Parts: sequence; C-alpha cells; structure tokens
Amino acid sequence: MFVVTFLVRRLAQGAVIIFLVSFLIFTLLRVVPGDPVRLMAGGMAPEELIEQIAEDMGLRDPIPVQFARYMGGVIQGDLGQSFLRPASGAAVGGAQFDDATRAERAEVLTLIAETAPMTIQLALLSMVFALLIATPIGIAGGLYPGRWPDRLALYLGSLFVSLPNFWLGIVLVLLLSVKLGWLPAIGYGGFAWTILPALVLAIEIAPFILRTLTVSVAQVMQENYIAAATVRGLGRTRIVFAHALKNASVPLLNLLGVQFSLLLGGVLVIEFIFDYPGLGLLTINAVLQRDFPLIQGIAIVTSAAFVLINIIVDLAATAIDPRLDY
Amino acid sequence: MSVDPLIEVRGLTVAAGDRVILDDISLSLAPRAILGLIGESGSGKTVLAQALVNWLPAGLRITKGEIRYRGRDVLTLPRAEARRLRGREIGYVGANPAGALDPTLSVGSQLVEKLRAVEPGVSKQEARDRAIALLGAVHIPSPEMRFHEYPFQYSGGMMQRAMIVDAMISNPALLVADNITQPLDVTIGAQIIKLMRELTEQFDTAILFVSSSLPTVADLAGDILVLSNGAIVEHQPAPSLVATPRHPYTEKLIAELPTLWTDRGVGTPREHAPDAPAIMSIRQVSKTYEAAGKSPFGAKRRIQAVRNADFDVFEGENFGVVGESGCGKSTLMRLLTGLEPPDSGQVLFEGRDLAVQHGAALRATRQRLQLVLQDPYSSLPPQTSIGDIIAEPLHIHAIGGRRERRRRALDMMGEVGLARALYDELPAGLSAGQRQRVNVARAMILEPRLLIMDETLSALDQTEQAKLLDLFERLQAQHNFTYVFISHDIAMVRRVCGRIAVMYLGEVVELALNQRLFFDPGHPYSKALLSAAPTLEERRYRPEDCLLEGEPPSPIDLPPGCAFASRCPSAFARCRTENPPAFPRGHHDRAECFLLDPAHTSPLQKARPDA
Repeated sequence: MFVVTFLVRRLAQGAVIIFLVSFLIFTLLRVVPGDPVRLMAGGMAPEELIEQIAEDMGLRDPIPVQFARYMGGVIQGDLGQSFLRPASGAAVGGAQFDDATRAERAEVLTLIAETAPMTIQLALLSMVFALLIATPIGIAGGLYPGRWPDRLALYLGSLFVSLPNFWLGIVLVLLLSVKLGWLPAIGYGGFAWTILPALVLAIEIAPFILRTLTVSVAQVMQENYIAAATVRGLGRTRIVFAHALKNASVPLLNLLGVQFSLLLGGVLVIEFIFDYPGLGLLTINAVLQRDFPLIQGIAIVTSAAFVLINIIVDLAATAIDPRLDY
Repeated sequence: MSVDPLIEVRGLTVAAGDRVILDDISLSLAPRAILGLIGESGSGKTVLAQALVNWLPAGLRITKGEIRYRGRDVLTLPRAEARRLRGREIGYVGANPAGALDPTLSVGSQLVEKLRAVEPGVSKQEARDRAIALLGAVHIPSPEMRFHEYPFQYSGGMMQRAMIVDAMISNPALLVADNITQPLDVTIGAQIIKLMRELTEQFDTAILFVSSSLPTVADLAGDILVLSNGAIVEHQPAPSLVATPRHPYTEKLIAELPTLWTDRGVGTPREHAPDAPAIMSIRQVSKTYEAAGKSPFGAKRRIQAVRNADFDVFEGENFGVVGESGCGKSTLMRLLTGLEPPDSGQVLFEGRDLAVQHGAALRATRQRLQLVLQDPYSSLPPQTSIGDIIAEPLHIHAIGGRRERRRRALDMMGEVGLARALYDELPAGLSAGQRQRVNVARAMILEPRLLIMDETLSALDQTEQAKLLDLFERLQAQHNFTYVFISHDIAMVRRVCGRIAVMYLGEVVELALNQRLFFDPGHPYSKALLSAAPTLEERRYRPEDCLLEGEPPSPIDLPPGCAFASRCPSAFARCRTENPPAFPRGHHDRAECFLLDPAHTSPLQKARPDA
C-alpha cells in the first residue's frame, strides 16, 4: 500500500518537474540568438524562403502557442523530428537550400533510442569500475579511521579527484591503445570500445564513493548499537557485514543515484574525446546545429531519467532503512 | 551460606593511562541474588559494570585483579569464548536503550540473531518462539505483532523491556543492569523495577543492579555496595545501609536525598501573597501540531500537545508544572514564552496577550519574561566568551554602553557564583553546573519579573541541584522574581514550588497547593506519580494500588473520555466515554476526575451500600 501511494505521489511530482524542464528549455532555446531555419536552409537561402519555412514550421507563432503544440505531441509520444538530421543517417550538407531529403528528417525519439543504450552501457560500466575500486578501500578506511587504510582512501581520493578527465582520457588512449594495443579507443565497434571511457569516468567518480563510504562506515561504527552488539554476544564479522554496512549503504545509495544521473546527462567531454556514439555526443552536435527538437527531446528524456532514478533510489533506501519516510 | 559465588571480583583495578578509575574493587554475587551498586556520576560504576562483562571502552585497561565467573577467570579466556560467555551466561543491559539495536532491522529479528549467535544450535523457529514468549513475560502488549516492529516504533520504556529480553533470551545466570531506569519516566521506571523482581523469581537470574538513585536500588537489592571515586566505601544489606550508614559519603548521599513527605526543615516553598495579582494568565490554551499522514491524500495526523490549559501564575510565587515525557510540558513552555502562539485561547503576561504583540513591544515584554533551558551543553554558543554570552541580552535590548554592560555582566557573574576570571573564557571547560549558572545569569541580567525554568536542573546531580536551588531562593529574595519550574522531577518540585500543576497528555489534570498535592492528591494520576517517585521514605501511596501496567496512549489517537482511564485503577464506565471537567477543591485547587464529581457515587459504594 505504501509503495503504491509513494509511486503515485512521486510520479505525479516527476511529471511536474519534467513539464517545467521542458518549458524552460523550450523558452530559452527560442530566446537565445541564432535562427535554426537559417542553419537548416543553408547560408545561401533567400530571406523569403527562410521566412516561408519558418512560417510553415510554426516558428513565428508566440512561444506559448508553440510550446502547447509541442507538448501536445510529447504527450502522445511524439518528440518531433530533427531539423537537420535525415532519417537515412547521412550528414546534412552545408549551404545548399534545395535539400531534397527535407521530408524525411529523422524522428527525435529514434535518434535518442539509438544512442541512449550506448550511454547507459557506459554509465553502468563506469559505475561498476568505480565501485570495484572504491568499495573495498572505502570500507577498510571507515573501519580503521586514522590508520593506513583510512589514509590510503584519502590519498587515493585526492589523487583521482585532481586528474582532469580529458587529460586522463588522452593519456590512457596513448598508453593502453597506442603503445600497448590492448584496448580499442575511438568510435564504437563492440563492448571493448566502452572499457576505456568507462575507466576514465570511474576514476572521476571513485573519490566521491571513497569519501562517502569512509565517512559513513566510520560514523556507523561509532553508533551505540554497534558497540552494544559486542556485549550482546555478536561476532565481529556479523556486526560489520549485517549491521554496519547495511546502515552505511544509504548515503552511498543516494550518491550513486546522483552520480548515475550525472553520467546519463553529462558525459559530454568523454564521449567527445572517444567519439563514443552516446547521448553526450548527440547533445553536443544538436547544440552546435541549433537542432531545437533534438535538444528538447534529450532534455525531456534525461530529466525523466533523473526523476526515475531518484524514485528508485528513494524506494531502495526505504527498503534498507524503514525509518525513512519519503 | 556455603553457596559458591556466581561471580567473584578480587582486587580489580582499572586505569585510563595513569589515572586510576577503579581502585581495588572486590565483590561477590551469589546465584539468584540481587546486588545493588550505587554511586554518583563519575564514580566509576559504569566502568565496573562493563569490566564485569569484559567490555571496557578503548583506552581503559584492567591493571590488576581478577574476575571469576563460576571459578573461571573471565579476563584470561580466549576471545571467542569470552564473547560467548558474555552474551550467553552474562547478560548486559545499558542505560541507553534508544540506540541499542540496529534501526534498520526489526526488533524480533535482532533478538533471534542474538540468541543464535550465542547458542548456534537453536533453530530459527525455536528462537522466535522464545523471543515472543519473553516479550510477553516483560509485559509488552501483543508480542507477536511487536516482534515484527522496528526499534523506532518502540517507546523508551518498551525498548528497555526489549533490551531486557535481549539479555535474558539466552537464559543467563547473571544480568548486569547498568542504570537501566535512568532515562525512563518514573512510572515506567517503577514498572521495570517490578519486572526485575519477577525475573529473578521466574528465571533464577542473579542481578547486579547499578544505579545512581539510592531509593531505586534500596527498593530492589538485597545488599548494596556504595562506590565513590572508584572505590567501594561501604557494603551493607539494603535496610541497614539506609538506617545506619557507616561511611560519611553514604550519610551525605542519604542526607541530600530530597524527601516528599518528611519535613526536613529546609524551609517552606514560596506561596504567593493572598492578594497578589496574576502575573501570567493562561486562558483555555490549546496547541495542536499537524504531521503529514502516511498517505498523500489521507488525513493529517493531529498531535494534541496541549489541551485547554487554564491557570494563573501569581506574582512572587514559585509555580511548578510536572509531568512525564510527552505530556506537553515543552509545548506549554513554548506557549508561555510566546515562542509559539496557541491555536486557541490566550496567554496573558502582565495582562496583555503575548500573541498580539509584535516587534518592539514584544521585545520590551521579553525583557521581563525570560527562559532558562534544559540542556547546559547545547544552549551555550561554544565560540563566544562567557562574558559576552551573559552580556548579550543587554546588547539585544540596547541597554547601557560597552563599559556598563561589562560591569553588569561581571556583577551578575558574582551573583550566580561564577568567578570573574571566567569572563573572557570560552564555555568549553565549564561543568554542567557552571554552564547552568551562565544560563541563569544570561536570563537574569535583564532583571525579568518572571523566569521560566524548563528542566533547568535535570541535567545536574543532587549536590549541584541543591546549590542552584539555594541560589534561586537567594536571588528571588533580592529581586522578587516569580518562577515557573517545568520539570519531571517531583521531589524537586516538592521542595521549591508553592503551587503545582500536574500534566498528563496535554491536560492539566490537577492544580493544587504543594501540601495538598502531596498529602491529599485529587487525581489518580497524581497519586500514581507520587507512588512511583524514588524515595526512601515510607510511601503514602503504593505503586501496586495506584498504577496499572501500560503506557500513556499516543497523543495522535487520543481515546474518548479521560486520557488516564487506560492506566487508572479507579476508572469506571463514565471515564471511558466522557472527558472529566475540572472539579474545584477549594482555594485555586482543582482536579479533572469524575471521582470528585459531587454527583458521583463510586462503584464501591454502589456495591456495598453500607460502606
């Protein structure tokens, strides 16, 4: 019963959030300078033609009218079509205005559906790497505060956090791909292409996990029920694994939710460096091309993902700690 | 007397670095006996309790002596064996039940976990059955349901019972109870003491009962050890220890105990002059808090913190408000000081409603109405010097220049007994008692007319309490203050307050002059409170007659009728359907109980018309 009311409430809140995000993105895109029709039709197109295309596409209507029309489509699952990208997947050429493929622009939804799984795969893999690196060290650091595992966690975290990701990416490519030839680096041809960018991202995230785990494990170990467990006759292994880690996992879970959301929405630099065909690369190109429908579509999909991840995290947290009442 | 002792301690010495915490302790405890251990805070009694289960906090070391459990030396046992002995043969219950279990797992599952950890052979089902049976034995209502609930769903008293179950579930021969009634309300504490007695009889468990309250220990234990500064200064059977203490320290402990019914000649509490005007009037005041319900569309939960409070505080008197945790004392304090407006009714100070005053007018009123808080630690800003803390109210109310403020702060420090040299110190090094003096000085520097003391003395030990009470009296004589003491400590209220309001679940159930309340209480709850109060005197009211098992109902789902009916031995049908109004008892005294209704004939009288 609790789960149902929780989901109803949170999904309703989420819908409001997504609506607001859409409206904000929609308005901002239309307020900032840069006419998409000019880019679409090409630099050489006559002014009248541009006006006509803009007129036809409804781009000269008041913003609220445009927004209402757009949202009407979104509700039915139609995110519109890209201004520039043809359905065939070929790049759109520069200046000519008599583009014959005009009618077959790619569906925004299709574009996102093609790239999102790539980004999700990258995000998940980097999460796994980060957890593999950070969990054992973080827990050890929390169990022995002030001793060498704690210091190791601290130093490793400081080292990782101060490596710029673009630099690290390039160095790893040089080392692992060019010099050693172990891993492929640029573009995408299979799962192996995900490993390098995931490693770079993992090193970026790991310090946060390290820090959170060290602090929360150390904190939980100070709790009365941990001390009391000894005198109640429980063994050390049981105390650490059944009680301390369970209680320390809630802050970690929250952090992972936030980090995962960030990975989905913002791995721009890494995808760009590795030319990894994910959402990030799609976003960069969409922005550079003033491809309004695509930018809007990506914004809506990623904000929906944020909302969903948050709901899942909170639900998982209540499952771990029944005192939490969202 | 040739019984082998269950546990025997010889020459036990515990030290933290070079500092000796426990010095040459020897004691022995026979099977099925209850041994009391009494000492002030800092006397080392908790360390001794922990040493017995070989569970000393880091930094403490046993430097000498031995602890033998059934002849085996506990201290030299291998680790795994020591652990099993600790959970299985020797149970330990501490003073802080609130955080003693993992908050994310149900109480029942942790009881099962503990039993199976110390007795690996026990099946899950068997452990479960034993846990539920024991939860029933410690009088937890509907144990099958409570088994599945989480620690945060238990009240403090229930949690302490659960911890007793946790210690008893492996059927230990010895239970070390370290100050277990200290955080509990007196009526709940009395129930726990009764429970301990039942347990020794039912399960043949010996108990080492450690406490800082001599009356509680004397009530329960056969023999009593007195611990002072880490050494045992006296060992006697309970009755003779109370009657003929041999060591001066024990004498002092007994002499300092506040009494409820015996006149010690410490002076009579302040009553107001017959013609004194009311300085504060509370008129039909209610306050309800709303908490979000579990479902988004469901009704909000309404917590009725204060219900229809109505009384006057007269100029120059000491007015007391007593009640147990959750009775609405703190909410009442917030209403009296104008920190929150009431939902209905009025709080009049010097004839003017606090709720309608704003800005400068309110600030001017606050100058004459000051509050001293409970917690001596969190109520002082740690980074501000003591002098600045005390002078700050003058600054806020723009009184005097820098020099003038400093002079008055120094004067005030002298008056409350703080050394002038402390003016530029930070509060970090102060003791609890000194901190409360700073709090008092901060409130008094504005020369208020009315001071509200919210559990101001609760965090202090007896000696320090007595000193501060003397200070309050002296200051009152000099400045003619009026005090309102809000407290759970009925003995303190007995000593200080002229008139007393007794609160239960948000209502003032009785209002009476001091003498009347203690010798002729009008409300059954007042009797229950008196019966449970820790005292060495012969009780006028016995807990067996005055209090039923159980805990106060939740202020969220108040039952119809009288809120106390569920625990009241005299409750009858009408009490469960109708909330009694206040029946006057002469003077300003009144009590809310149908037993006082002139139209009421008690069921007893009905049954025996000749009586």
